[in-house]
Amino acid sequence: MAALLPYTADRETGRFFEAAAEGKLVFRACNACNHALHPPTAHCPYCQSWDTGWRESNGVGRLHAWTVVAHQIHPAFPAPYTLVVVELEDAPEVRLMGRLDGAPALHPGQRMQVWFEKLDDGAALPQWRPASEP
Amino acid sequence: MIDEEAAFAGRDKCAVVGIGSTAFSRDSGRSVLSLATEASLAALADAGLSPSDVDGVVRCEQDTVTPYSLAAALGVTDLSFWADTGPGGVAPCMMMGLAMGAILSGQAKTVLAFRSLNGRSEARLGAGVPGMGGERVGGFGRYDEYYLPYGLITAGQTFALMAQRHMIEYGTTQEQLGAVALACRDAANATPHAQMHDKPLSMEQYLGSRMISSPLRLFDFCLESDGACAVVITSAERARDLPKHPVLIRAVAGGAPPDRRVGMMFPVVTRQDMTDLGGRRAGQTLWKRAGVGPADMDCAQIYDCFTISVILQLEAYGFCAKGEGGPFAASGAIRYGGRLPINTAGGHLSEGYVHGMNHIVEAVRQLRGEGVRQVPDAELALCTGGPLPIGSSVVFRRA
Ligand SMILES: [Zn+2]
Repeated sequence: MAALLPYTADRETGRFFEAAAEGKLVFRACNACNHALHPPTAHCPYCQSWDTGWRESNGVGRLHAWTVVAHQIHPAFPAPYTLVVVELEDAPEVRLMGRLDGAPALHPGQRMQVWFEKLDDGAALPQWRPASEP
Repeated sequence: MIDEEAAFAGRDKCAVVGIGSTAFSRDSGRSVLSLATEASLAALADAGLSPSDVDGVVRCEQDTVTPYSLAAALGVTDLSFWADTGPGGVAPCMMMGLAMGAILSGQAKTVLAFRSLNGRSEARLGAGVPGMGGERVGGFGRYDEYYLPYGLITAGQTFALMAQRHMIEYGTTQEQLGAVALACRDAANATPHAQMHDKPLSMEQYLGSRMISSPLRLFDFCLESDGACAVVITSAERARDLPKHPVLIRAVAGGAPPDRRVGMMFPVVTRQDMTDLGGRRAGQTLWKRAGVGPADMDCAQIYDCFTISVILQLEAYGFCAKGEGGPFAASGAIRYGGRLPINTAGGHLSEGYVHGMNHIVEAVRQLRGEGVRQVPDAELALCTGGPLPIGSSVVFRRA
């Protein structure tokens, strides 16, 4: 069963997927007040500026929450698998999803490293794996 | 800014005068329009009114029955006001606000509010978000492209992440989640029309039930039901001339959390505090508008899509401090005879899942003294709507 492919041409979020295909992790931020904006919007609600753009993350994060999905919902995602919510180290306002196979042992605050999963159609999805502590 | 004078001016000015429900089942064998029609006719009969008295219809935006179709099916001859609200389970409490607004501004005299779904036999809510069958997911303002491709597909998985976070931060336990499931099941076992009537649940059975998405187990999940509920709202003045004891809409309030994120349900996991609900803001406004507080509630019908939803809302609406929802639930306070009996007909976890509307119906039953498991002398009841991504709430008062 084919994966659930993301729509990658959205006018607000397209750059995230374009960058992922280039092996880069990016997030939206306000150029006027430097607040990260996630999920991304072209307008900054914190300072009312339209001067917003994309910034590259160093791809390191901290594990914020996870759930082991034991009951399978969709054939593209055989259970068990673990959904992780990862907070970017260089932009804590941004939390991104990831998926790990099975039910690995994890702990809150664990250091995570991004990698890029190639999808069937050439698109890519930033994913996370546990990283060694620095 | 909300005009406080105007907000208070609505207090006790409108009333629920009729309630109606279909049976709740796993397969109704009927269309959602038929279910909506049956529930609406029951609510009108209960109010001593007929379809020709209705001039307003409000609904949940996820309902596939439109106000116009329902009016046509009922034989409403003079439909002059209609409105949709939501999202999803947030709708029913906000429907009370829409009805109140229409009545107090002279746009309608008698408003029918309804929710109808074949949530088990036709459109299972637990099967994931709509549009998932398409070639591409997300886009066009939905923001689901950040979540669905990872396998974060359902509300249950989203609330599982919130539950796990609540456990990390506050030490909430599996048994405390279980206390919510048991309280609702206990109420259902006293309620013949409840889908889980005559199915006792022990803590041992709860803890032994299969994991769906950790830490949420089978009995942490609400039912998926076929069924419909409807209520009739009119002015408090007119309500005095109708057969049933009026139940006044004391106050209505919605609220969004301070950390707002675009999109629908999934971006909640991005909030800095993902267990802080819009209900907290809704509650602050609600208690002010109602002129009463959490301690004054004789019972509460709390939106229980999952057990954790109840624990988070007990905190959000001020029944206990943040982080103490687990111990509060486990203390017995939420059971019949406790300080705050909740979901007195069994709620979504054990009565049936009509997307928040059966909670409105049960709140009204309690304040009329018509509850199967009646809270003695109930005068004030809280009803809450779906907790994500924003909250909604109503205080009802026995006239
Ligand atoms: Zn800004």
